[in-house]
Amino acid sequence: MNAVMRFIKESALWRSLFRQPYPNTSRTRALAVMNNVFLHLHPVRVKRHAVRYTYTFCLGGISFFLFLALTVTGLYLMFFYVPSVSRAYQDIQAIEASVAFGTLVRNMHRWAAHLMVLTVFLHMIRVFYHGAYKPPREFNWVVGVILLFLTLMLSFTGYLLPWDQIAFWAITVGTQMALYAPLLGQESSFFLLGGIQVGQETLLRFYVLHVIAFPLIAAIFMIVHFWRIRKDGGISGPV
Amino acid sequence: MTIEKRPNATADKNAPTQAPDRAPMVSPGTGPKLPGPPGVPGTERFRLLAYVKQESMVRVDKRPDETLLTWPHLLRAEFLMAMLISGLLVVTSLWIQAPLEEMANPAVTPHVAKAPWYFLGLQEILSYFNATVAGVIVPTFYLLGLAAIPFIDRTPFKAARDRKLMWVFFLCLMLGGLLVTLIGSFFRGPGWNWVWPWEGLFFNL
Amino acid sequence: MTQHASYGEVHGPRAGEISRRGFMRRMLGVGVGILSLEFLGGTLAFLWPNLTEGLGAEITIGSATDINNAQPEWKNGLPYIYGPANLFIVNVPAAKARVEGDGSVSSPIEDPGTDLDEDLPLADRSVLALWRKCPHLGCQVPQLCDQSQWFECLCHGSKYTVLGEKRDGPAPRGMDGFPVLSVDGVYVVDTSQIVNGPPPGTVTFDQRAPTDMPHCTG
Repeated sequence: MNAVMRFIKESALWRSLFRQPYPNTSRTRALAVMNNVFLHLHPVRVKRHAVRYTYTFCLGGISFFLFLALTVTGLYLMFFYVPSVSRAYQDIQAIEASVAFGTLVRNMHRWAAHLMVLTVFLHMIRVFYHGAYKPPREFNWVVGVILLFLTLMLSFTGYLLPWDQIAFWAITVGTQMALYAPLLGQESSFFLLGGIQVGQETLLRFYVLHVIAFPLIAAIFMIVHFWRIRKDGGISGPV
Repeated sequence: MTIEKRPNATADKNAPTQAPDRAPMVSPGTGPKLPGPPGVPGTERFRLLAYVKQESMVRVDKRPDETLLTWPHLLRAEFLMAMLISGLLVVTSLWIQAPLEEMANPAVTPHVAKAPWYFLGLQEILSYFNATVAGVIVPTFYLLGLAAIPFIDRTPFKAARDRKLMWVFFLCLMLGGLLVTLIGSFFRGPGWNWVWPWEGLFFNL
Repeated sequence: MTQHASYGEVHGPRAGEISRRGFMRRMLGVGVGILSLEFLGGTLAFLWPNLTEGLGAEITIGSATDINNAQPEWKNGLPYIYGPANLFIVNVPAAKARVEGDGSVSSPIEDPGTDLDEDLPLADRSVLALWRKCPHLGCQVPQLCDQSQWFECLCHGSKYTVLGEKRDGPAPRGMDGFPVLSVDGVYVVDTSQIVNGPPPGTVTFDQRAPTDMPHCTG
């Protein structure tokens, strides 16, 4: 057994993947964070209070984690969903009735989406509480507000997709608000709905926005958001 | 008690010149003089430079205490939180069924038509004010106002007492939003009439 | 350039002039800006809805006889619901008689006529096409309420007369409609242009106040 493990660990393949032994010294731990593309979102060292749950309550981290969970569950759902007025509702029913773990995945997607709206709001309140929008972090606060808006838009566009009565009327009422814009209200509503009222065009538009456009834009802003945290000197200090 | 080891040959710039033909960097009168032949091993002298109290010692050299290694401390915290949220999500999803009503039918308006919950505050405001005010000015002001916070509050102070105005502004936005959202969610029924939550709950997630 | 006097001579172009390099740089910026705007405009144009059927087209409803066959109560003033385009087709003279008779009509009006000019006041036209989408938040307006002879939106309690004038509730204006044409006695509704409903406070017909009678919604 040990011989096999040793053989694997000394193979060229393994060593090309892992450039150093398991990180258990300060040096290798620093290298592990620095050399890994995913871990290097983090600095090598963090401030002591940044690790305390009661400082951040992990709200930003939870929001990001929920975004990832939503991406995965959303990808699963996409395999069984056609954004067509005649099929969408039946597809949701089929996901619930005949797809293995279908109900679970749909429920997870829906609850994670609601939870994400909540955690993003709470994250903003936490950041305000610590005055973490103060210079040099002004720009990152603005990016955060944009991300809040994108989160709402992601949730809103997803709300229509089950094509049931809740979805249809919630979106009808929600998009009607756009009509009240003093300039181009009618045009923007027409553009958003792809027509005069919620219908097939709306479903397709919302689907495309929900599964690719908004996630992509949100991901770009998230990269900026995380990058700026590091460039602005890491997580803010206590009040 | 801090005692600095000062070997004559290398550290003491105030010592008498090591090479006779070189001028001293500081005039000999200002610094303390150390007797003894320079550069001879075993003849270094020690002297008291400063007496530093223990607490201030900590303040002077605090750096090792301020930070932690990301691996394992931060990653462990993140991993635990991710596990917790995943577990919570799976358990919630096993227990609570996401709503699905009848298929969409434009010809049948339900008695209660509500936007998603995060827009219900807006919908509530729409029933008070002129449509342009509630539908456009309020949400625009809300988002722009949030984004403008760091550009209004330019002081570097973070304590609540140093930014009372911002706190009032922010709390107005948050609590006002919370209030109208709660009213729109739980206190509005058919015809957008006032309904107490115990008389009937008209709320969908 | 006087404020720079203490720093010595200012190099570069004189005030009001621009160097060749600066000019090129600025032109490049302007070019990229224009390109971005074109890209944005092209995107909007590409994504602009392309309607070929349903609302947005000219919709043939039928002759007065057709409508009466589809809904016998039309001659008694009850608006005809045209489902595909989500419209109320109002027989105006009959509807007026119905409201004045509090729900009953002594002499049914089979054919209201062809006074359809958009310049006429609502009450003087023969036929109106009212859009069933409530101008408040887009709910579907149900058929005339028996108790009040008004259209009463279930969602948020907006109330309109049979001609679509707003009388109560949160809506910003009366019900929106579409121009109606008559082609050889057949009513055609042009749904490509929405005619916004009359502003609140417009009273051309039906003077009753909301408190005068019972309602279907609160």
